[in-house]
Amino acid sequence: MVNGVQFSTLFQQIINGLSLGSVYALIAVGYSLVYSILSFSNFAHGGFLVVGGYICYGLLMGKGFNIWIASLGALVGAGFVAALTERLAYKPIRERTSMTLYLLIASMGVSIVIENLFVIVVGGRFRALPQNTFPSALFSLGGNVTVSAFDIFSLVIAVTFLGGLQLFLSRTRWGLAIRAAACDLRTAGLMGVNVSLLIAIVFFVAGLLAAVGGIFLSVRYTLYPQLGGITTKAFVAAVIGGLGSLPGAVVGSLILGLAEMLTAGFISSQMRDLVVFSMLVIMLLVKPAGFFGKQIGDKI
Amino acid sequence: MKVLLEARDLHVSYGAIKALQGFSLSLNEREIVSVIGANGAGKSTFMSAVMGMVKCDRGEVFLDGKKLPPKSFLVVQGGLSLAPEGRKVFAPLTVLENLEIGAFSRAGHGDVKKDMEWVFSLFPRLKERVRQHAGTLSGGEQQMLAIGRALMARPRVLLLDEPSLGLAPIIIRDIFAELKRINEEGVSILLVEQNARQALLLSRRTYVLQTGRLLKEGLSKDLLTDPEIKAAYLGTKGK
Repeated sequence: MVNGVQFSTLFQQIINGLSLGSVYALIAVGYSLVYSILSFSNFAHGGFLVVGGYICYGLLMGKGFNIWIASLGALVGAGFVAALTERLAYKPIRERTSMTLYLLIASMGVSIVIENLFVIVVGGRFRALPQNTFPSALFSLGGNVTVSAFDIFSLVIAVTFLGGLQLFLSRTRWGLAIRAAACDLRTAGLMGVNVSLLIAIVFFVAGLLAAVGGIFLSVRYTLYPQLGGITTKAFVAAVIGGLGSLPGAVVGSLILGLAEMLTAGFISSQMRDLVVFSMLVIMLLVKPAGFFGKQIGDKI
Repeated sequence: MKVLLEARDLHVSYGAIKALQGFSLSLNEREIVSVIGANGAGKSTFMSAVMGMVKCDRGEVFLDGKKLPPKSFLVVQGGLSLAPEGRKVFAPLTVLENLEIGAFSRAGHGDVKKDMEWVFSLFPRLKERVRQHAGTLSGGEQQMLAIGRALMARPRVLLLDEPSLGLAPIIIRDIFAELKRINEEGVSILLVEQNARQALLLSRRTYVLQTGRLLKEGLSKDLLTDPEIKAAYLGTKGK
């Protein structure tokens, strides 16, 4: 009987872990995509997630749109905010220097600006999307195993978006250009690619994916201006998987989601973050480039 | 002969360093012109300036009498295409994808498939390796890919920055033979080289660049026997 209980906990926590991990993956992939093109950690990425969450909340609660339209508005809105951020905050720096450190510092500034903009405009209190926004029923898979429909739903949606991104990158003309630019941005410009437009597209896609994550996170937890802080987990996932690598970001996110949920299920939910950051430290000691990281150094 | 490409009085500086100090060049239709010079003479800077990759302090570049815009992607759309120094193939992409990205500027225009067959006829080794990642190719094959990739843009002028760099003499000979063939099919070529002998043998006219300024220009066959050039760039004593 004890074994049966443990098994059902294990099974449930794996589902929970994959679901949470897939949401991390949406955030980590966008962050990694930007990193692969411009080689800097965009700390404002969490801000895009918050923008998405609030647009969705506003359209749903304030304007009375249904969840699909509200979500669509959130995705497009966050995409535009991301592209606009690049245009206003990063482009002027990119055009003056090739030192990516300045971009990193600017992104920290943008992150603070976005967070406080929400504190001022909508207030710092916690908001919750209504319970029935997404399917949330619990159903039993026999024995003691129960799964929440929301977990399955968010997993399916996340996988759909990640699959869509994969198709975009592998099958389209701009997808090919983005992969080339990830390898060498300057040379991509020599191929007749409008690099400014390419960077705008990359930020739009990153913002859009972050918004999907933001909506799910605001259902799973609640929505507040500092929700973007959860992006730290996605950064950790991206580092574990290998900075700049998209498959790495997905694998790292799933590992992280599973580790968190298994820790919560079998040890204590207070230990979650301890485990996450221990994994980061161990990874940096053992394999600093991550599982799928770019090789450092050029072949001459 | 009609002038196709013309650079007028280009000045480029990197901070306090003046890399180009008033260099002018013209390229006629269907001609091969080379620019030779030592390391740091400003050859690559000149190519970057023509391609709109660096900002010129002064001077302009004209194609067919029309001023070229200062953005690389517009220059490529205008009909110039560069195989850059150090080849710069996209290592994680396949040979096929490298060629496809070369045709980015003309998606929907013309027959990309046909041009790819043309590139394969010039460099059959690329066809054998079409599914391989570009990073796994040898140096010579990567250079062929860089040239093929540049040709996929269907340029009117093909610009080559040090195509012989780091390659074995026999490979250099092969590649230069193909350049001649490419030119015979109607593509004008602007070649920048440290390997002065190969450049002089291939081109019709040559400009000699020294610390950002023109040292000499003339027909390549005359420069081959010029005592000063022989001593400084060909490593043989002028008689």
